Amino acid sequence: MEVFLQALVNGILLGGFYSLMGMGQNIIFGVMNIVNFCHGEMLMVGMYITYVLYTYFGVDPYVALPIVAVLMFGLGALIQSTLITPSLKTKSFTNLLFLTVGLGLLLTNGALVIFGSTYYKIITPYAQTYIPLGPVTIALPRLISFLILIVVAIALFAFLKYSTTGKQIRAVSQNPIGAEVVGINVKKIYILTYGLGVALAGIAGSLLTQFYTIYPTAGASFGFRALIVVVVGGLGSIPGAFFAGIFLGLLEQMSALFISPSYSDMIVFVTFIIILVVRQVMILRRR
Amino acid sequence: MDTRKAVKTYHRNLAIVLAVIVAIFAAIPLVVDKPYIINIFVLTFYMSTLSMAWNILGGITGQNSLGLAAYMGLGAYVCCLVVTKTGMNPWVAAVLDMLVVGVVAGVIFFPSLILRGPYFTLVSIAFAESIRQFIINSEFFGRASGVGLPFGKDSFAQFRFTSKVPYYYIGFIMMVGVYLIMKKIGRSKLGFALRTIREDEDAAAAIGINPTKYKVIAVVISAIIAGLVGFFYVSYIRYIDPDVMIQSKSTEIVLPAVVGGAAYIEGPLIGGLIMIPLSELLRANFAAVLPGINMLMYAVVLIVVIRFRPSGILGWYMNSKFKAFIDEKILKKPSLDVLEEYELMADKGGK
Repeated sequence: MEVFLQALVNGILLGGFYSLMGMGQNIIFGVMNIVNFCHGEMLMVGMYITYVLYTYFGVDPYVALPIVAVLMFGLGALIQSTLITPSLKTKSFTNLLFLTVGLGLLLTNGALVIFGSTYYKIITPYAQTYIPLGPVTIALPRLISFLILIVVAIALFAFLKYSTTGKQIRAVSQNPIGAEVVGINVKKIYILTYGLGVALAGIAGSLLTQFYTIYPTAGASFGFRALIVVVVGGLGSIPGAFFAGIFLGLLEQMSALFISPSYSDMIVFVTFIIILVVRQVMILRRR
Repeated sequence: MDTRKAVKTYHRNLAIVLAVIVAIFAAIPLVVDKPYIINIFVLTFYMSTLSMAWNILGGITGQNSLGLAAYMGLGAYVCCLVVTKTGMNPWVAAVLDMLVVGVVAGVIFFPSLILRGPYFTLVSIAFAESIRQFIINSEFFGRASGVGLPFGKDSFAQFRFTSKVPYYYIGFIMMVGVYLIMKKIGRSKLGFALRTIREDEDAAAAIGINPTKYKVIAVVISAIIAGLVGFFYVSYIRYIDPDVMIQSKSTEIVLPAVVGGAAYIEGPLIGGLIMIPLSELLRANFAAVLPGINMLMYAVVLIVVIRFRPSGILGWYMNSKFKAFIDEKILKKPSLDVLEEYELMADKGGK
């Protein structure tokens, strides 16, 4: 029972990261209808920025969070304005797909060239503090990270729902041409959206540094899970992404507990395929 | 007759140019005796072949799969296991492996072919990862450590050589053979059906092309070629482990096609012949100091090509002055009118 509860808590804590990644991917996919295949790599970049700030400037990972978010937003805006917006015109899904794949390769191998394939770790003074919570224990950084995740998720939800810019983003995702007609600067919204999505991935990466090793391909598995979250949670839905992420984290931990840890990846993938196909069949039926 | 003569000259010139290219490739192992250089060529040949296998599904049919490395790996595993466990001749095992990979791909992709655009890509990644995870967890497939082929005396029947030169020639024949098959498919009814599906699936269905049927055909052809390359790969490296099936390998397969021009049959070939030697030379010269530099170069080339030449190197060449010059001065290609007239004449002559 204790093992089960511990797995339950771990699943929720892990799922929080999938949620955050999924939210970033969700707004990019929802607004521009492109799959950001370098989303996991953006998480990795966020991890390295946090690492550099901590090691060379002594900035605490939680203090570094806003800096990482701003830097990642800048990176995303730069990529969007110089590479993705011009390629959107070609309307070729293949090109956009491989553009983001190419960016992912660029970032991974850029990190490999700069930092080498060494595994880095950030060990803060409070990293080993554990909080007993009834029958389960939670590492303090994990708990703080999860609380920050929830705050970010709520802030994002409120931003998209109530602010003018958020409303503009939703308008563009529903109908870009219509949005342009009513005077929304669609190009600006695209830049903002991509920057925001990338910043969310960066935040996830930054929060992850305290209990995850930092290496060039660290983001790959998170990147793919973000896509699963988008598909399962539904396009454009922030609460959907949140719960889908938690569900995915739980699924992974539970299958590791009840079946076998080595099969947990495979179970995630197979579940994903089944959900995708069933979802499509349901869409076709409805027509 | 004038028309006939002009077209005959053009065809003759074309044949001469192709013969010269083939002769150059045939002569390379006779001139170069460094195994390292030959290795780069062998790598180029099988990677270009794989890229062509991706292209029939991705570039021609427009279904961007990102998991071909898994099918190549699966082919290599089947081949390797059949040869080691039953002692079957590798060439026979290759046929069996192509059948198995083709059937596996056809069966697992069949339900997911209703998915479109990005969803198809996601499912292809998930399938590839599932296959890899299955192999890692399976005792029969040797888990994460992989399986090897037996070593022994050189023998053509066992497809086993100490020198790299026989692999060079067989690899070259494989690449050219697959190219010719692709060319044939590109001109056939199948090729046109696949291109129609790429342009507009609903329109294709409306004019009587069954998209699911043709997509299954494309998936199976693509997987069979991947299985063939798997056989070649395992016979050459003599060892296979799940690492060749990881996601980034699947991406590597796609790059030559996208850089060369994914809409063209020749795209992967051109892209492969340019990109892979370049990448290998970079790796050889810089990997010790800067690991990852060759993939970094790959990524930069890919991004630059997509940003500035969205239809690839071949797409750019097709509209360039360079092509016009070659057509006019070297091949003496007659105008389209003349070519059409010739075809009409040939049709009448045939009847």
